Amino acid sequence: MSGKTATAPTTYSPSPTQKKRQPIFKDVDWIRPDGRGFHQCRPAFLRTGAVNAAAGSAYAEFGNTKVIVSVFGPRESKKAMMYSDIGRLNCNVSYTTFATPVRGQGSDHKEFSSMLHKALEGAIILESFPKTTVDVFALVLESGGSDLPVVISCASLALADAGIMMYDLVTSVSVSCLGANLVIDPISEEESYQDGSLLITCMPSRNEVTQLTLTGEWSTPKIHEAVELCLDACSKLGDVMRSCLKEAASASQE
Amino acid sequence: MGSSGASGDLSGEMEVDAFRRLFPLRFYERHLLESVRPDARPLGRARDTTVALGAVATADGSAMAKIGCTTMLAAIKLEVMTPPLDSSDEGSVAIDFHMPPICSPIVRPGRPAEVAPVVSKQLSDAIISSGMINLKELSLVSGKAAWMAYLDIYCLDADGALFDAALLAAVAAFSHLQIPAVTVNDDGRVVIMSGENEEEEESVMETPVTVVLDSSSRLVSLYKPGGPVLAYMSAVQDCVALTRQRVKELQKILSDAISDMEVD
Repeated sequence: MSGKTATAPTTYSPSPTQKKRQPIFKDVDWIRPDGRGFHQCRPAFLRTGAVNAAAGSAYAEFGNTKVIVSVFGPRESKKAMMYSDIGRLNCNVSYTTFATPVRGQGSDHKEFSSMLHKALEGAIILESFPKTTVDVFALVLESGGSDLPVVISCASLALADAGIMMYDLVTSVSVSCLGANLVIDPISEEESYQDGSLLITCMPSRNEVTQLTLTGEWSTPKIHEAVELCLDACSKLGDVMRSCLKEAASASQE
Repeated sequence: MGSSGASGDLSGEMEVDAFRRLFPLRFYERHLLESVRPDARPLGRARDTTVALGAVATADGSAMAKIGCTTMLAAIKLEVMTPPLDSSDEGSVAIDFHMPPICSPIVRPGRPAEVAPVVSKQLSDAIISSGMINLKELSLVSGKAAWMAYLDIYCLDADGALFDAALLAAVAAFSHLQIPAVTVNDDGRVVIMSGENEEEEESVMETPVTVVLDSSSRLVSLYKPGGPVLAYMSAVQDCVALTRQRVKELQKILSDAISDMEVD
């Protein structure tokens, strides 16, 4: 048995430090690192029923961003909570230690849990499960950029898999502003150089936005353009999610 | 309750389900009398086990192991540390077992599962005391720099046999581990050069016994954490014999996974 001292030694990662090179995004013609067009999203791999222990679950892979979401419930609310004639939603997003290139950076995203909550609560029919709580837990296995939109879309899929009543599926897409260009579904490298970002969560069939988050510098026409881009991408993503659910349902019927 | 008249099968099924929930011990005893488990497995057979190496591309070594529905993801990240004075030519391994809220309804954020630190300690002890890893191989510059291997194991789906699956994933991750080639730069920093048992069964069991054997079937660890039942030597010996057989199965699975990786 090794007798290690109680205090953990400080360690550092041996990866070569990124040299501060001139961001290529300032050039007139530049290609995205993964070769996509500016208005092209990453291909999505979606699967429901990833976790057997949960009431509903989903796994989503958008390029290098990999997320698992489990839904538990409706189940008993904590005893301390007072009676409520509508249901409660509880969300939590956490990162694995190896999700980010530098170990342990995932704890920088503590606000994601509350943002996920705000994105979903408008879409769930809380009246359908009074006095109880639905728990939505997300774990980011690998962070490749646009983490929160992927978490939100995956959570909506997991809720559908669990049979929680919703007004519509919820899809989410983000757009980054890099100089004069708008790029959709940014990867981590693009996000680190962005001048501003827009995240939209909407219910595609109802054409309603449940959450809109804008950061950084934007001019008004740019905002309109970005919103149009996002809504269009959201509705396409909604179709992809719907076909994933249909496949899962028909597979289980066989 | 389903109507017993119209669909006799349905009411039969519901009775079984209700019986299983209300009297779990008797439910299992009825099966054990026939030497079989509810999923028709004989007592000595384990659930389907799979191992996939290299599941996490950004880690220096990783593996995903599944036993039945229980899924474990293990990843090793290497960082550089200054070794302590009393072991200046050895590296170190830090093993952490996590049960995130996604894996089971009993885990809540802020209220971790009771079993998680127990499995974490068991894993640590088993891996370090087995001598599986030669810490001297993790040394870089004697007294100045050595590797610290952070092994993080995440349970993605908890359905019993947590320790077994976690250990399998950990061993597989170490077998996949490749230590990168490094040199020391001008500032003195090191840089990389231009990488069973199902849940329900366990809840009615009174006392689990865990046996760990190494590749030459020598006993590495035996863990019987208290409990109201005393384990007779004959029962312990039966456990060891079963483990011996399971070791052979697992070795085959692991070596198949490794040779698949080498072909690529």
